[in-house]
This record gives sequence, structure tokens and C-alpha cells, in this order.
Amino acid sequence: MSNSHREEIQAFSKIVKATQGADFGPALQSSLSRRRFFIAGGATISFGALIAACGGSTNTGIARLGEAPTKTELVDAPVTDIALLRTATSLEHNAIFVYEAVAAAGLLSGDAAKLAARFLSDHKAHAEATASLTEKLGGTAYNEPNPRLQSIYIEPALRLITGDDASGIPVTDDPAADVLALAYALETIAGSTYQVYVPMLADSALRAAAIGIGEQEARHAAVIGSILNPTRLVSTFGLSIAAEYQETTDVPAAAYAVPTAFGTKAPVPVVLGAANESGIRTSLNLETPSLNSMVYEYLDGE
Amino acid sequence: MTASKIISDSPVRPTAADTELLASAQATALAVRDLYQAAVAAGAGGEHVACLVSIAAHHDAYAQSISSLIGRAAPQARDSKVFSSNKADFGSDTMATALAAHALENSLVAAHTALIGELVGTEGAALIASMVIIEARHVVALAAIAGKSAIADTDLFLVTPEAASADAQTTTTIA
Repeated sequence: MSNSHREEIQAFSKIVKATQGADFGPALQSSLSRRRFFIAGGATISFGALIAACGGSTNTGIARLGEAPTKTELVDAPVTDIALLRTATSLEHNAIFVYEAVAAAGLLSGDAAKLAARFLSDHKAHAEATASLTEKLGGTAYNEPNPRLQSIYIEPALRLITGDDASGIPVTDDPAADVLALAYALETIAGSTYQVYVPMLADSALRAAAIGIGEQEARHAAVIGSILNPTRLVSTFGLSIAAEYQETTDVPAAAYAVPTAFGTKAPVPVVLGAANESGIRTSLNLETPSLNSMVYEYLDGE
Repeated sequence: MTASKIISDSPVRPTAADTELLASAQATALAVRDLYQAAVAAGAGGEHVACLVSIAAHHDAYAQSISSLIGRAAPQARDSKVFSSNKADFGSDTMATALAAHALENSLVAAHTALIGELVGTEGAALIASMVIIEARHVVALAAIAGKSAIADTDLFLVTPEAASADAQTTTTIA
């Protein structure tokens, strides 16, 4: 044992003796002065370090208290063009899932149902295109909905619309309006995803292909926006234009055919479901797939 | 949880060739802005005049953003050919203007989609991508302003006329 360790033990013994027999009752807060608190604390920490240093550990030589869990290394998953295309395909299948579920439940009728059928057809074509590109690059196409987005956005959103007895969620008051609101948000995010992927893709030809699909998703969103807000097709918020052309409200509408000057990467909020007893409805914020929502090839075996 | 890294090694800033392409895009954006402004000045728009004014402001914003990206290489002047060849269609008649603008925006979507395939620097590609997304939405808004129906005239809203050739171009050059 080194001299410094002996000194630490002696210092700690003095503290222990000084506090033995002391009254630790109500006067504890006042009797244990700030200085003594630090002395006691310092001695305790030093003693802990001493115990650790004198312990049987032969691993690191670094003093520590307690047992640290074994560190798990993160999987090294580069964001390749294949990973981006697989994720794009998965997002198309999220949209396909929604439109098929809506059709099966008969939530839309008339013109809205016809448009939804057209959008479904477009998403199937997009899924085929991105799957084909994935395979051309030597990857394995991913022909399922994105599991992460499905669990955090799609399924909760559909439950809010159709209701879920097991969770005590009532059916929404206006399912058709909620479906259009969800579709608007979903199509907007789909367009944004392809926009976000443009600078991430290594192959410039793929960038053009991606935005070629993204602009079609944006058209879907715009058509829905024009149905939800036919009197104000283009938002004036954030534009430097004369006051006579500005909207006469401080709050932007929930949907526009053209909501902004540039394609946004921001989350798209959507309000769904029946109001609770306080009159509040659930708001979901849909976002483009994060790095941890991508469909990497290493996940195929899991 | 994943330790992810993006592998694209493309340059961020525009290359010399990119700058030339982006300069041309800026001149086009200014010409399109001026066309909308000329139509509004002539009395087009009706109940949707604010939409035309806003779309003009969008194209002005595109020109400004390209200018900030390429600096002194930005021409800061409209493409006179684009302006003069479309000027006659951007008059006082709202429906005629909306249809002309619809066709012009569709051609911008196709041209800018192709441009993204040519740009090397990622900043330029990202900027043009953010423009394409909204130009596609412009198409839809203008079809609605022109009185078209998304049900009866669906393709007018959803299909880029040049999309077929653009797809062919982008899907056959993959290494």
C-alpha cells in the first residue's frame, strides 16, 4: 500500500471518528457545515477510489465504482444508394398500405375514392421503380412497409381514424376528412423524403430519378391540398408581397396546394381522431425517415 | 441504433460546370417571375390574383437562392428568350394565363429534374430539388385556377409531359 493510500485511509478514519456518536437528528443540516460536507464527501470518494484501486480488478487499471455494463458497439451501416432506395421503396409501401386500408374500410367515397385509387396506382409504380433501381445496383429490393414508420406513424394514425376498442380509442367524427388530412401529410413527407435524398445519393442519375418520383408525390399532396383548401391555393406566409395579397389571418391553414416557396424538410403536423373530453384532438408530426429508420441491408436477417 | 455515415463523396459546392448551369437557371427564374408579374399587371388573376403574385415571389426567391450559391457568376438578369417567347400568353385573361403558366411550370419541373442529374455539387442539386417539389405543386394550383377538375382532367394535374423521356434518361445511365 502506498503512502498516499495510507494517508487517505487515515483521513477517512478521522472523519468517521469525528462523526461517531454525533446527533444526526433534526440539527443535522445545520451541524454538518458546508466545509465538513465537502471534507466528508471528498474522503468518501477517495476511499471509494482506494477500494477500487486495491480491488481484484485486473482489466483496465482505471479506478471506478460499481460495475459498468459491457458496451455494445453500434452497427456500422453506411448510407449507400442501395439503403436509400430500399428506404424509398419501403415508404412507398407505407403509402400503399394506407390507401389499401382506406379502400378496404370504405372510408372514402366518390371523387375522393377515385383520386385515392389513382394515388395508390402511382405509389405501386413508384415502388416498382425504386425496387428495380435497387436491384440494378446489386441490392435486394425491400418490398414491405417501413417497419419503423409503420409502427410510429401509420398504425397509430389509422387507429385514430377507425377507432380501436382494445385501446379505448373511439372512431373519429369525420373519417373522410381525417383520411384526406393523413394523405396530405403522408404525400408531403414522401415528396420531402426524395428531396432530402437528392444530396445524399452518390449517383447523380439516381438523384434525378429520385426527384422525378418526389415531384409526383408533391403533386398528390397539392391535389389534396386544393381539395382541403380550395379558396387559398398558395400560402402567402413568409412571402414579401404587398399587404393586399396577404392572407387575413395569423394562422396558416392546415393544408395548401402550395404551402411554401421551397420544398420543406420540416415535420408535417396532422390532427386526427375524435376530440377527448377536453376537446383536444391528437396531433402527429410526420417526418422524413431518419438514419435510424432506414432499411439497411444488414437488417434483412433480423 | 446504427452508426450511419453517408458515403456520397460528391463535392458540396458547385463545380465550374454546375455554376454555368445554375446561372442559366437563375436567368430562367427571373424571366418566369417577370411573366407572372406582367400577367398580374395586365389584370389576370381574378379571385386567385394572390396566388399568381405568390408564385412570382417563389420564382424570385429561387433566383435569390441561386445567386447566393454561385455569387458573382449569377447573371441577375432574366432570360430574355424565355420571357419574350411566353409573354403573349401571360396577359389579362386569367384562364389563358393559368394554362400557359401550367405548361411553363411543367416544363420547369422536367428541365430542373434533368438538371439535377447533371449537377455534380450537392448544394446545387439540393436547391434545385427543393424548387422542383414546389414547381410541381404550382402545376396543380394553376390547373385548379384554370378551372380544371382533378377528377376529369387528372393527368393535367399529375403527369409531367416530359416525364417519360426524363425517366428514360435517368434510369439507363446507372453504372
